[in-house]
Amino acid sequence: MSGWTLCIDFGTAFSKAAAAPDDAWEKFDPKRIRPLAIGGADGGRSPFLLDSAIFVDDDRILFGNAAVARGDALSEQKRMALKSFKTLLSVSDLDRALNTAPARSIDPHRAFTMRDLIVLYLAYLSQAVERAVANDAMLTGAGAAAFEFRYAAPAWRRGDSAGLHSHVMRLFGEADAVRGAVDLSAPGGVSIDAAKQALVATRSTSAPAQMGLIFEATAAAAYTSIGLKVDAPAMIVLDMGAGTTDIAVLARAGNRVEELLDAQVTLKQAGDYIDRVIANLALEAARLKTTGQQAELWSAMMRDMRDFKETLFAEGRASIRHEGKKITIAMKDVTRAKDFRAFETDLADAYEDALETARRYAVTDGGREIQSVAVGGGAAAPFIQAMIRTKPRRGGVKVTPKPATPDWAHAPEFRGNLAPVFPQLAIAIGGALAPREMLAAGA
Amino acid sequence: MPAAKTAKKTKSAARKRAAPLRDLTRQLAEAAWADADAALAEALAEFAAWEAGEADAAAFVGQALRRAARKRGLTPLSAAGALEPYDAALHVLVKSASRPPARVKIKSPGVMRGGEVLAKARVTPVRRRP
Repeated sequence: MSGWTLCIDFGTAFSKAAAAPDDAWEKFDPKRIRPLAIGGADGGRSPFLLDSAIFVDDDRILFGNAAVARGDALSEQKRMALKSFKTLLSVSDLDRALNTAPARSIDPHRAFTMRDLIVLYLAYLSQAVERAVANDAMLTGAGAAAFEFRYAAPAWRRGDSAGLHSHVMRLFGEADAVRGAVDLSAPGGVSIDAAKQALVATRSTSAPAQMGLIFEATAAAAYTSIGLKVDAPAMIVLDMGAGTTDIAVLARAGNRVEELLDAQVTLKQAGDYIDRVIANLALEAARLKTTGQQAELWSAMMRDMRDFKETLFAEGRASIRHEGKKITIAMKDVTRAKDFRAFETDLADAYEDALETARRYAVTDGGREIQSVAVGGGAAAPFIQAMIRTKPRRGGVKVTPKPATPDWAHAPEFRGNLAPVFPQLAIAIGGALAPREMLAAGA
Repeated sequence: MPAAKTAKKTKSAARKRAAPLRDLTRQLAEAAWADADAALAEALAEFAAWEAGEADAAAFVGQALRRAARKRGLTPLSAAGALEPYDAALHVLVKSASRPPARVKIKSPGVMRGGEVLAKARVTPVRRRP
């Protein structure tokens, strides 16, 4: 074994990271996978999750969990943390978007551009990764040179992955330089002056980082197929996150995996949209009279939505107690809702088109099988699970659905503790396991 | 080197190799417990409400407990009402029998995590038709 591959999943809500030995693809051993505890010192809910958030306070900048907490505490004063900034990377004119000033609710001093804040967050994330590596008994002593770095991103910009990649490399490069100039790991964050000085001092001197880019769908294909004898030439990946639902078709030839960009679809309806459907159903069921009561129930639903949805998907129904009343929503109520049906129709059309692309590719390649997998927060939803079992309109191939959590995550060595958290860490793990041939862009 | 010393050294090297995996497993458990704890706390609060006479609290206790179990990777073993060949490793008879039955009916499912059975399913023997 020559070294390690480390993949950062710069997520919309949380960032995650994992490392795997360079030869993991050829000599797969689940015991050697290292999810990194990048949230260990952040005070968040899980040691493996680092909140993707940054808060510009009166004279300091806070990161991660502290930024989320401060933003929540000051929400009534119309102040907020900058979150979900990963989605900024999907816009067509990225340079312009990075050079705009954030809203006053995010940066009341008008001291930073979006680029500055993203660079500062990436510097904080890099420090957290470095700390997690130093605290990992298997990785300690490996030395920076022993690591090949990657990051995972959706195939948002279709054919322009090289354009996105060069931007991200510059951002990570600047972040590396900032990380060397100022310590961002203190619980109270960093002073605004120190952050500005570090940004100015390092901008002209920093070099682009050396990292590979792996598409999220490819990372999903990697953790799904590793250790298995794979004959299927095509895999369809259905990824329902919070803000978007993405469908990707991957063509495989040996270790090489390419995303068929013609089949790539992104729908704006996803988990957040389903949340609103469910909350509206709860409002209908509760029959509240005043708008104030309705607003309270809406807030309560949104606060508990993650757990409510998990129960609804797993058990087919879920209940919430509100103002002494029990409100129950069944999955069949959701599937009957007009808004949901519109979303399901759009999704089914897009999925069928992508499936046909996968079928054509498989048949041309002489294969008879397409594998399908659902990933992201919505992977467990019954309608998503039903969709990945859909057969193509035309014959010639069979569809084999794969589990969202691969069998190897249940290996006895983990004593049942990896599988429950696997969906959160999946993309970082898949990105670290994938061989170089699977990268969308090299270092 | 005496055999005992060599064995001791080998044992200590094996323990050293196992340490990183043990640390990781502990952290993974901590991550899984973070979500399960919240669900368990909710179950306890609902249980107290049920004891205090709130009739519909029992349903919330069940909902929260099942969620806590899923967060810890626990899954049901068998389904209530299913008929299965008797397996002493998976089933426990509600009433003891003089000899093990060939087939059983699941009265209430057991619980497993990965391949490990944590609670056996409660079963009753299925009588053969005459």
